[in-house]
Amino acid sequence: MLSKIIGNYYYMVAIILFVIGMYTMLTHANMIKKVIAMNIMDTSVFLLFVAIGYTHGGQAPIIKEGSEAIYVNPLPGALMLTGIVVAVSVTAYALSLAVKIYRYYGTCDYDEICEIRSQE
Amino acid sequence: MGFADHFPALIVVVLFIAAFVSPLLFRWVEKATAPFVIAALVAALIMTTALLVRVQQSGPVLYHMGGWAPPWGIEFKADLLRIFILLIVISVSLWIFIYAVRDLKHELKKEVTGWYYTLFALLVGSMTGMALTNDLFNLFVLMEICAIAACAIISIKEDRECLEASFKYLILSAMGTGCFLLGVAMLYMATGYLNYSLLQLELVETLTLYPRNIFAAAALFIVAFGTKAALFPLHVWLPDAHASAPSPSSAMLSGLVIKIYAFALFLIFYQVFPRELLDLIPLNEIILWLASLGTMFGSIYAMLQTDLKKMLAYSSIGQIGYIFMGIGFDHNLALIGGFYHIMVHAVTKAMLFMVAGVIIYSTGVRQIKDLAGIGRVLPLTMLAFTIGSASMIGIPGTGGLISKWYLSLSALEIGRPFFVLIILASSLLNAIYYMPIVISAFMHQEDFQFKVKPVPFFMQAALVVGMFFIVIFGIFSKPVVTLLEQAVISLF
Amino acid sequence: MDNTTVITVLILIVVLPIIITPIIFYSSRVSEKLRNGLAVVTTAITFLLTLSLYPTIARGGVVQHTLFEILPNLEISLRLDVLSFCLAVLSSFIWFLCTVYSIDYMAKEHATSRYYPVLIFTLGSCQGIFFAGDLFSLFVFFELMSLIAYILVIHEETEEALKAGYKYLVMTIIGGLALFFGIIIIFELGGTVSLGAGEIIQESSLLALLAFICFLIGFGMKAGMFPLHVWLPDAHPVAPSPASALLSGIMLKTGAYGLMRVIFDVFSPELLQSSGWDKILGALAVITILLGSAVALTQIDIKRRLAYSSISQLGYVLLGLSVLNNNAVIGAVFHIFSHAFMKSTLFLAAGSIIYMTGKRRIDEFQGIGRQMPVTMGCFSIAALAMIGIPPLNGFLSKWTLALGCLDAQMPFYVLVLLISSLLNALYYLPIMIPAFFELPGGSNPSGHNNHHDIKLKIKEASPRMLSAMIILALCTFFFGLTPNNIVYALSRLAAAFLLLGGTL
Repeated sequence: MLSKIIGNYYYMVAIILFVIGMYTMLTHANMIKKVIAMNIMDTSVFLLFVAIGYTHGGQAPIIKEGSEAIYVNPLPGALMLTGIVVAVSVTAYALSLAVKIYRYYGTCDYDEICEIRSQE
Repeated sequence: MGFADHFPALIVVVLFIAAFVSPLLFRWVEKATAPFVIAALVAALIMTTALLVRVQQSGPVLYHMGGWAPPWGIEFKADLLRIFILLIVISVSLWIFIYAVRDLKHELKKEVTGWYYTLFALLVGSMTGMALTNDLFNLFVLMEICAIAACAIISIKEDRECLEASFKYLILSAMGTGCFLLGVAMLYMATGYLNYSLLQLELVETLTLYPRNIFAAAALFIVAFGTKAALFPLHVWLPDAHASAPSPSSAMLSGLVIKIYAFALFLIFYQVFPRELLDLIPLNEIILWLASLGTMFGSIYAMLQTDLKKMLAYSSIGQIGYIFMGIGFDHNLALIGGFYHIMVHAVTKAMLFMVAGVIIYSTGVRQIKDLAGIGRVLPLTMLAFTIGSASMIGIPGTGGLISKWYLSLSALEIGRPFFVLIILASSLLNAIYYMPIVISAFMHQEDFQFKVKPVPFFMQAALVVGMFFIVIFGIFSKPVVTLLEQAVISLF
Repeated sequence: MDNTTVITVLILIVVLPIIITPIIFYSSRVSEKLRNGLAVVTTAITFLLTLSLYPTIARGGVVQHTLFEILPNLEISLRLDVLSFCLAVLSSFIWFLCTVYSIDYMAKEHATSRYYPVLIFTLGSCQGIFFAGDLFSLFVFFELMSLIAYILVIHEETEEALKAGYKYLVMTIIGGLALFFGIIIIFELGGTVSLGAGEIIQESSLLALLAFICFLIGFGMKAGMFPLHVWLPDAHPVAPSPASALLSGIMLKTGAYGLMRVIFDVFSPELLQSSGWDKILGALAVITILLGSAVALTQIDIKRRLAYSSISQLGYVLLGLSVLNNNAVIGAVFHIFSHAFMKSTLFLAAGSIIYMTGKRRIDEFQGIGRQMPVTMGCFSIAALAMIGIPPLNGFLSKWTLALGCLDAQMPFYVLVLLISSLLNALYYLPIMIPAFFELPGGSNPSGHNNHHDIKLKIKEASPRMLSAMIILALCTFFFGLTPNNIVYALSRLAAAFLLLGGTL
């Protein structure tokens, strides 16, 4: 059992990062922290995907003439490039929203924003 | 391949082209932007109809992007159900857009209107893509486009509530996406495929080899799509988002965006996961119970609201519960009911939000208690509201009854009359908060308190179109139901 | 008349009033007389068209025609048989008279441009209920009628009227949902909801019992059955009097009609008797009869007293339906006719008193009989008929019902009928006797001056209002004199038709 966990440590790390990211995103009040946590969460899934693609003893997936080597699966990496782009655009948008909200309220903290709103 | 063969991809591409060109057009020839987007939507609609004819004649159409066959390429599939959803999405978007052209002038700043058209076209394009795609990762990308576009059409209004609501929606949506991607990772780990059809074939065997992966993936998908489609208890972002957005955006969001995620969940559950999964975990039970709670709680929260658009938003939560109940019953009649309700609710809720928009445009009133007596000054608008409420309650002659009919019939067919009681109880709760508004609008003693601006012709025409279709869906329902019966039969 | 003509006439009867409604609405801008004339003419045409269907059903003919299919296996259809003819002709007749009455009653009222279109529209939907050929169309027209009648209930727009209307609306929606549940169970169990398909439910099961209870809730709520009668005593009094007459006279009967269709065409009498479900209906009917009469004794407002009286009188019909033998069903159908005539007369008379004097409380009615003799005369004839004095039609219906109960060896029911008659006497006589035999303003020793003053102020109601009342009062007389009258014959035909399973 323990050897299975240690053998698959990259899956474990990815899941731990995912949970950290999700927990922070949902519970922390600071908006910037939420965005960072969202990035952590997405990055963890990217890491998981890329790790899935790894084959033991595989080389980089560039075909050389006439060699019979095993290659690492390039597909997850390619997919994750797309995923990273998506995550970046969402981050950019979320940060721009955070900036605008900061301009209105003067604080990045969600709890304080709720207090200001409830006082109105 | 002839031109017509490329239609599945062209539908999405045309809308994206419209999205990119419209800000430029707005800079040069401002007046041409809206007609241009309308032309794009009409073109998409024509292509969808052509596809429908083709699918009815010769069965599902598979389209490979770039000519690469799966599993190396992305595949688009057009079968009857997807075309049904496409027709709903495109025609309702066209209708809302015609309304929006007139309404946006007073809700948004002038400079951003061109960007609104971009976001609108992006949103419609991504939704059509989500309906057509047969590949999980393509679904992810389109889902994100949809999420950003949806949040952006809320925040484009740039006042305090909508910025916060948009941020909350974005964060929760991102959480959903993260879960979805992890689920895709689980499936990819176990099978190596991302294409729905290939996955369906593989997963039957994989279920016995790696059951926990599949369970985890299923659970993550329910969370992901539940958050985005506002399944109880993951609906918390919806009221703020839909209430603070400009009215055409609310109409789009409540009417179409949440439905497309429910449809995506349906596709994954019925066309990817094997039926044996349901023997191991009763996933449909979970969805069914969450949906039932959603219908009840949505209505209960709606009763407590004082703002008109918030009330309509909570009502959406209740109504999306019906659609999820249709998915959760696991019976062909329930699916017919659920899909019919997608169509009816898209039109009804869009029209109700348009009514709210007209009221805000014309009088600036948002609180329900200020609506007393408005029926006498805005009779057409309140007539539209009455017919929309009648459809929500399920009064015969409107489309709402047909979907409730099928849902109740399937509840009885699987031997669980308790759910008919839930459907009826939620209808009663719907009546309790819609009727007082209608009654006080028409029957109130004193006259309406606020100044009234006249309502533009296009907005009124949009409302009339909506009323017409709601009644048509209630009376001439046979063609659509036969189409759905045909479509659903292949799943069982 | 051949089938196609009959079907055209049926469609015309249902559709004509509905189409004329917007015309009436817009004609009120031209002139009031035009609007009133249009309304009366529409009701007259509907009545004549309905009458013209008599030859078809006199031989026991049944016409069932499908209009179109709304969903697979679910059709919208029309049906003409003895029972639907009976109720349709009754409703169009009384509607005609009440519309004539309304012309003068509503002359002083506000929002008449809303009242007349709604009145005519409700006529169309009522006829639609009676001529519906399947449960779904019945449900559609039922809901339509109930919701549009709401506008009649809240016509006065006072605080009280709005509250009563809200209660009415909530109960209508609950009843409608119960009906929906019942219909869907029937569709599930039987595969069809058409009324021409014979017995739809063949065997009793828990689901079938659930459907029966749902129908009892849905139709019983409209018919004022205990315990769903709570909307009635508030809704009928606040409506304008001709509308109250129609609400009490006809719209309650749509609930009874629905129950009859359910009992005879969906479930069969044998099924109900063998599984003992008719006892449920019987028990509720008995409670309704006694409760309605008992509470009516405590009411001071005349329209509330008449409303509670309606509750108990509908109980008679339900009682007849629960006993389910020949005499009982004849009695039930005949009582539908009789009560419609009697209660309409009573409400119209009460309405003319309220219109001419503004008095609604029973303790203010002393001496009215001397000043408004025709009105009180009609009131008295109808009240005596309610009590069950021969030779009026109330007696004939009670007699037939009692015979039916005795045939079924239920002497307890006869006792209930007698007690209810006694209670009827106890609450009608105190209205009639002071009206004729006391001086106005009470037996005031120094009342001479008052007597003269009041005599000068109160006049008899206008000829139009009187004529409607007189015709109805005469109906209670002529249709009760002997059993050899057309209405009784129709009831006999209807009962035979229903009990023999839809054929003669």
